Amino acid sequence: MRKTLIAGIAAGAFIAAAAALPASAAEGDAQLSVLHAVPGVTVDVYVNGALTLDDFTPGTLAGPLPLAAGTYSVAITASDAADASAPVIGPVDLSLAANGNYTAVAHLDASGNPTATLFTNDTATLAAGEGRLTVRHVAAAPAVDVLAAGSPVITNLANPGESVLTLPAGTVSASVAATGTTDPVIGPADVDVAEGTNTIVYAWGSLADDNLALAVQTIGGLHSNPGGVPAGNAGLVATNKPADSTGLLVGGALALLLAALAITAVRSRVLAKAER
Amino acid sequence: MLLITGCGVAADAPATPPPAGVARSETPAPTPSATGAPAGPAASGVPLTDASLGAHTAQPLVQPARVEVPSLGIDVTVAPEGVDATGALALSDDPAVASWYRYGPTPWSTAGTAVIAAHVDSFDYGVGQFARLLDAPVGTEIVTTSVDGRVARFSVQQVSMVDKTGVDWNAVFDRSGPHLLALVTCGGEFDYDTGHYLSNVIVTAAPIA
Repeated sequence: MRKTLIAGIAAGAFIAAAAALPASAAEGDAQLSVLHAVPGVTVDVYVNGALTLDDFTPGTLAGPLPLAAGTYSVAITASDAADASAPVIGPVDLSLAANGNYTAVAHLDASGNPTATLFTNDTATLAAGEGRLTVRHVAAAPAVDVLAAGSPVITNLANPGESVLTLPAGTVSASVAATGTTDPVIGPADVDVAEGTNTIVYAWGSLADDNLALAVQTIGGLHSNPGGVPAGNAGLVATNKPADSTGLLVGGALALLLAALAITAVRSRVLAKAER
Repeated sequence: MLLITGCGVAADAPATPPPAGVARSETPAPTPSATGAPAGPAASGVPLTDASLGAHTAQPLVQPARVEVPSLGIDVTVAPEGVDATGALALSDDPAVASWYRYGPTPWSTAGTAVIAAHVDSFDYGVGQFARLLDAPVGTEIVTTSVDGRVARFSVQQVSMVDKTGVDWNAVFDRSGPHLLALVTCGGEFDYDTGHYLSNVIVTAAPIA
């Protein structure tokens, strides 16, 4: 591509992007990802006037970039643009809060015009065994329902909206249909809702152009752990065993009988308590 | 809570009932980071990933099927488990069937602690094999075998009896630190009123290269 010369000229401007790489992440930085969801066009992305993503292709996710809290101007240009002066999208101002996690999406609006939307990603801790599923409508299409195994779990989701579900970790067979219908315009497709992860699914493309598709972003490390290991309930190896239970160890029919009676008694008490 | 959780510590995170139409995967991926298939480096070094659905399919795990401690005569089968209704590790009633925490590391992971636990005893099955873990000397060999026949060997570093109110479960179930195996059961004094042991026995073992 033709950015070789520009890259040298813009070296100063690149410092901003370079400083944003993970190796130099600072405490309190926001995390910004960028998804290209405009079909058919390769673009360049400028952040505060500096070329940050060169020849960015549709269906690609960039980032996360650690950025100090603040407002950033993002402009998206044709991939052969010399600078950010003639953007096809933007420039838009993105306000990033400290420790926030964001995805900026270049996409089509409901009528098919290029636009950009900044989404805030939910990074709250999940319960052990659970995953989070976020669905975002960034396609040139009317409002949709999202079906899991044929049943609607999200209804009337419109561009550029989102819906967030907390689910037991596992695979969801998901499809997307015009709202109020069940005939899929996307899918059904298996989506892995991984444990401890926010799995973000984007419906993108254009209904009219017949290129609707799903894009996926995952944010892991949101798990929590089991709260205990309840690994015994009979007291057979207890260090404080009563004398009649200790008899079990020395043997003898009478001792065994007494032990059995003692265990039965304990079991009855446990069951009685469990039923309360 | 404690009354119905066996000898476990009550958890603060009750499970949500599964919504209709959501299937559980048999092979969930381990905590993935925000990555898919690499799409190549950007000019400015910003990481790029392929966001297509096909790049985010669940990766099959090497699941443990058996744990042996030959010198102690321990040989139990292992089943993948999540959490029970109280948020504790789900366990079989049968002490000869251990639970591997399926959302954490496996014995074949490169980081974090694979946790395998079994009942120390049960009314129906008697004293379990994991009762012998308390006597495992440092250096005792533990052999884990996967569903597809792979073997990973570990060497006991530490055996500890910890009061249940003081167990740091986030440390036990660590997913990112040094690769370890933890075998967990119950022990110590028994509360005959509630039907719980008051302590957990935690065996920590390091991989044998």
